Amino acid sequence: MKQTQTDLLQGTLDLLVLKTLQSGPTHGWDIAQRIQQVSRDVLRVGQGSLYPALHRLEAQGWIASEWGASENNRKAKYYKLTAAGRKQLAAETETWRRFTGAVELILKTS
Amino acid sequence: MLNKLRLRLRALFFKSKMEDELQAELQFHLEREVEENIVRGMTPEEARHAAIRSFGGVERVKEESRDARGIRLLEELWQDLSYGARMLLKHPGFTLIAVITLALGIGANTAIFSVVNAVLLRSLPYDEPDRLVFLNHGGEGAISYPNFADWRSQNQVFEKIGAYNYGDYNLIGDGEAERLHAAQMSADLFGALRASAALGRVFTNDEDRPGASPVVVLSYALWRRRFGGATNIIGRTLMLNDRGYTVVGVMPQGFSFPAHVEMWIPVGLLSDQETWKVRDAHELLGAVARLKPGVTIEQARADMKNIAAALEKEYPDTNQGRGATVIPLLEKYVRDIRRTLYVLLSAVGFVLLIACANVASLMLARAAGREKEVALRTALGASRWRILRQLLTESLMLALGGGALGLLIAYWGVKSILAISPEGAIPRLTEINIDWTVLLFTAAVSILTGVVFGLAPALQLSRTDVQGALKETTRSATSRQGWLRSGLVVTEIALTLVLLVGAGLLIRSFLRLQQVNPGFDTESSLRFKISLAEGKDSETELNRRINFFNQVREKIAALPGVQSVGLSSGLPLGHNGTGMPFTIVGQPDPPLADTPFMETCIADIDYFETLRIPLVRGRFFSQQDNRSHLKPEELKGKTMLQQRIAGMNAIIIDEELARRYFPDEDPIGRQIRLLRSSDPLASLPLTIVGVVGRVKMEGLRWNSNVVQGYFPFRQVATSSMIFTVRAQVAPEHLIASVRQQVQEVDPNQPIFDISTLEKTRAESVAPERLNLTLLGVFAAVALTLALVGIYGVLSWLVTQRTQEFGVRMALGASAGDVLRLVVGQGMKIVAAGVGLGLAGAVALTRLMKALLFEVSATDPVTFISIGLLLAGAALLACFIPARRATKVDPMMAMRCE
Repeated sequence: MKQTQTDLLQGTLDLLVLKTLQSGPTHGWDIAQRIQQVSRDVLRVGQGSLYPALHRLEAQGWIASEWGASENNRKAKYYKLTAAGRKQLAAETETWRRFTGAVELILKTS
Repeated sequence: MLNKLRLRLRALFFKSKMEDELQAELQFHLEREVEENIVRGMTPEEARHAAIRSFGGVERVKEESRDARGIRLLEELWQDLSYGARMLLKHPGFTLIAVITLALGIGANTAIFSVVNAVLLRSLPYDEPDRLVFLNHGGEGAISYPNFADWRSQNQVFEKIGAYNYGDYNLIGDGEAERLHAAQMSADLFGALRASAALGRVFTNDEDRPGASPVVVLSYALWRRRFGGATNIIGRTLMLNDRGYTVVGVMPQGFSFPAHVEMWIPVGLLSDQETWKVRDAHELLGAVARLKPGVTIEQARADMKNIAAALEKEYPDTNQGRGATVIPLLEKYVRDIRRTLYVLLSAVGFVLLIACANVASLMLARAAGREKEVALRTALGASRWRILRQLLTESLMLALGGGALGLLIAYWGVKSILAISPEGAIPRLTEINIDWTVLLFTAAVSILTGVVFGLAPALQLSRTDVQGALKETTRSATSRQGWLRSGLVVTEIALTLVLLVGAGLLIRSFLRLQQVNPGFDTESSLRFKISLAEGKDSETELNRRINFFNQVREKIAALPGVQSVGLSSGLPLGHNGTGMPFTIVGQPDPPLADTPFMETCIADIDYFETLRIPLVRGRFFSQQDNRSHLKPEELKGKTMLQQRIAGMNAIIIDEELARRYFPDEDPIGRQIRLLRSSDPLASLPLTIVGVVGRVKMEGLRWNSNVVQGYFPFRQVATSSMIFTVRAQVAPEHLIASVRQQVQEVDPNQPIFDISTLEKTRAESVAPERLNLTLLGVFAAVALTLALVGIYGVLSWLVTQRTQEFGVRMALGASAGDVLRLVVGQGMKIVAAGVGLGLAGAVALTRLMKALLFEVSATDPVTFISIGLLLAGAALLACFIPARRATKVDPMMAMRCE
C-alpha cells in the first residue's frame, strides 16, 4: 500500500469521491480507478479506505446506491450523487479552495 | 434525514442482507482488479494474489464499512449485552453475590430516600405551598385567641390567616360511642391552604364566630369509616359531646391538616368561652397564613414584629416577651426530623459505598482470570475502548440487576419503616411511598454504582498487556491488583467503622435512656381514658362528674385481679402536663418574666399508690379533699372555671418544688397560689399537704427542671380522666371486663387510649428506638459486607501465594509461621482501615449529637469497644484463609509451577 492513500487529508477522500460521482453514477472499483487516472497516479485510493468512505457517505445521505450491471455485465453496486450530495460537494470544494489558497499564501510569503 | 434513518434501520434489521451485499460489492471489486491485472499481463494465478495483496484484509474493510454506517454502537451494545449476560450466567455464584450485595446497598438507599423524598423534598400538598407560613410566639410558644385575633386584623402581609388547635369530642349515637380527634380551626385556614371540600363545603367566616349554629366538616376517612361514604351525610346533625353539629362538608381524601384529625370545627365558635378570652394562652393555638402575592417572608416577619411589639406595650401583663415568629410551613413539619434523616441518608450512602467496594473487589479477583480472554480479544482487533465498554456493560448489568432487586428490598423496607414508626416520629408519614422521583433516584444510583465499582477493574483489565497475558501466567498484575484490592478493603473497613460507631453511640444512648428512672412503676398496669360530655355549668354538673368517675373506679377496683385504681388528668411520659404559673403565699410576686411555672396534674386518692410514686413528706390526697368546704355564697356570680378554682384548697408538690422554694423549712402547711395574684382567675391559697417524688413528665429524654404539682380530683372535677389499673394479672386481660364495667354505668360512654404503662414507656422512646433500629440494621449490613470483603481478599492473596507458602514450608517454616504471615498481612489492612475509620468517626459523629442522650459524640468507650469489635471480627475473617494457607502441601504447591 502506498503512503499517499493514508496521507490523504481527512475529508479529502470524501471530496474526491463526490467529485468523481459528479460526472455520473458508477461503482467502487471505477471510482478508485478514476481517481488514480485523473491524478496521474499521484493519488491511490485503497479499498480499505474507499468502501468505508462510500458507506459513510451513503449513511450521511450524500450518495445513494443501487445494484446494476457493470461494463462486462456483472452485478455491481452503483453509487450516485444525491441532491444533498451536490450541495455538500459545492461546500467541500469551496472549503478546499480556501484551504489550499491559504496554504499557498503561507508557502509563498514565508 | 428520513433516508438516513431508513438506512440505519435497514442496517440494523436486515443485517444478513446487508452483509451479503457488502460481500458481493467487495467480491466484485476484487474480480475487477484480477481482470485488470490479467490485462496488464499477469497470469491468472499471479493476478489473483496481487489483487488480494493490494486489497488488504477483507474482514477489516468489511468491519470499517459497517462502522461507517453508524450502526456500530447499537449493534455492539447488543453484542456487549448478550456477551455480558453469557459471562454473568457462566459464573452464577459471582453474579448472585454481586447482585445481592448491590441490592442491599441500593435497596437501603432507595428506602431512606423514599422517606427523605416524601418528608423533605416533596412540597406540601397544597396550592403554591411555598407561600404558606406558620406563626406562633417562637419555639413551642402557642398563641392565645385574642392575640391571634389582633394579628389577623392588624397584619398587612397575609392574604388569609387562620388559627387551629386540637380538641377531642365524643361522638354519640349512630352506633357505638367513639372518641374523635378534631381540629378547632378558623374558616380562613381552609382558605389559606386553598383547600375545598370534596362533598358539600367548608365552613364560612359567618359560622366561625361565637353564637353561630355549630357545624362540622368531616375527613374523608371518617366519612367512609363511620358513615359508609353516604352522600346524604350533608345536612345531618351529629351529637358531639352534648351539642348537635350540622355536617356541611367532607374533605377530599388525603387532606390532613393538622395531622391525625378526623373532623374540623370552627374555632370561632368557642372563642367566647372563658379560657379562650384570656390573652395569657390558656388555649394553645398555632396559626397558618398565606403570604400576599409579592410579599416576602422577611417583610411578613417585619410586619409581625411591629404588631407583636405594639401588643407587648398594650398588654404588658400578658404579652411581655411574646414576639411573633414566621417560618415556612414546610419548615415547621420537618425541622426536627431533618438531622435524623440526613444521618440515616449518610449511613445508607456508606452501606452503598461498601457494597461497591466489595463488588469492585470481586470483579478485580475475576479480572485476573479474564486477562487471557481480554488479550485474545485485543489481538483479534478489539480496541481498548471497545473492551472497556464491554466490561462496563457487564458492571451496569450487575448494577441494574441489583437496582431491580433493591427496589423490592426498598418496597419491603419502606413498609417496615412505616410499620415500626411510632405516631408522630416522622412527619408526613402517610405521604411516604415509592413514586417516580424515587424510581428515577434508584435508576440513577444503580447506573452510578455500576460505573463506580466497574471502572477500576475495567480500566485495569483493558490495560492488559497482550503479549504477556497470552504468553504466561496471570501473575503480572498480581501486585498492582493486590494493592488496589487492599485499598478497597481499607476503605470498606473505615466506612464500616464509622457506621458501627454511629450505631454504637445510639445503642449507648438508648441504654442510658432505658436506665432513666421515670419516677414511677410501669409494671403490669392498664391505662385508658374516659372523657365525659361537658354539661351545663353548675355545681350539680361537677358532682355528676365526680360521682361518675368514682362509681367507675369502685367497680373496676372490685374486679378480680385488680390491685388498685388511680385516676389522673395526665400520666408521666405523656407530654400532656399543663404548665401553670404560681406564686408562693407570703412572698411578693416576682417580675412577670420570672414567674415560676409548674407542671400540673389532677390526681385522685389512689393515684400515687397505683403508680408507686413515693411519698416523701405529709400525706396523699384523701376523701376529705373535696368541695364540701365551699359555702354557696362563695360561688355566687362566678363562672364555671372560677367555681372550679374556688373548690381547690389542697396541693401536693414534688421534691424539686420543695427543695427550690422551701429550702430550709418544712413545706407542709405552707401555701401556694395558682397564677399571679393580679390574675382574675388566680386561685385561693392552696395548702401543701404532701411532698412526692419527681416523675418524668415529658419523656425519659427530657431533663426538665420544671417543678410539679398535683390537685385533688374531688375538688377540681375535670371532665376527662385517665384510669390506671394496677393488676395482679396480665393487664391486657382486663380490657374486656373494664369496658363492661364502664358500660354498666353509662352505655354511651366510650373508653379510649387503651394501653399499658409498659407500652407508654416504650412509646416515649419510640423515635430513639426507630433511629437505633435503622442505623443498627445498616451497620450490621455494612459489617457483614466488610467481613466478606476482607475474607475475599485474603483468600485470594493466599491462593496467589500458595507456591510461596509451599517453598517456605519446604525450607522449614512451621504452620504457625505461615499463619502469622497471612493473618499479619490481613491485620495490616484491618489496622489501616480501623485507624482511618476512627479518624473519620471523630469527624462525622459530631453531626449526630442531636440524636444522642447523655453520651458524648466522641465517647471513648464506644470508640474503643467498636474498634476492638471490628478488629476481632476481622481477625476471624482473616483466620479462615490463613488456616487454609497452613494446609498447603509443599510438594503439590511446587509442582504447580
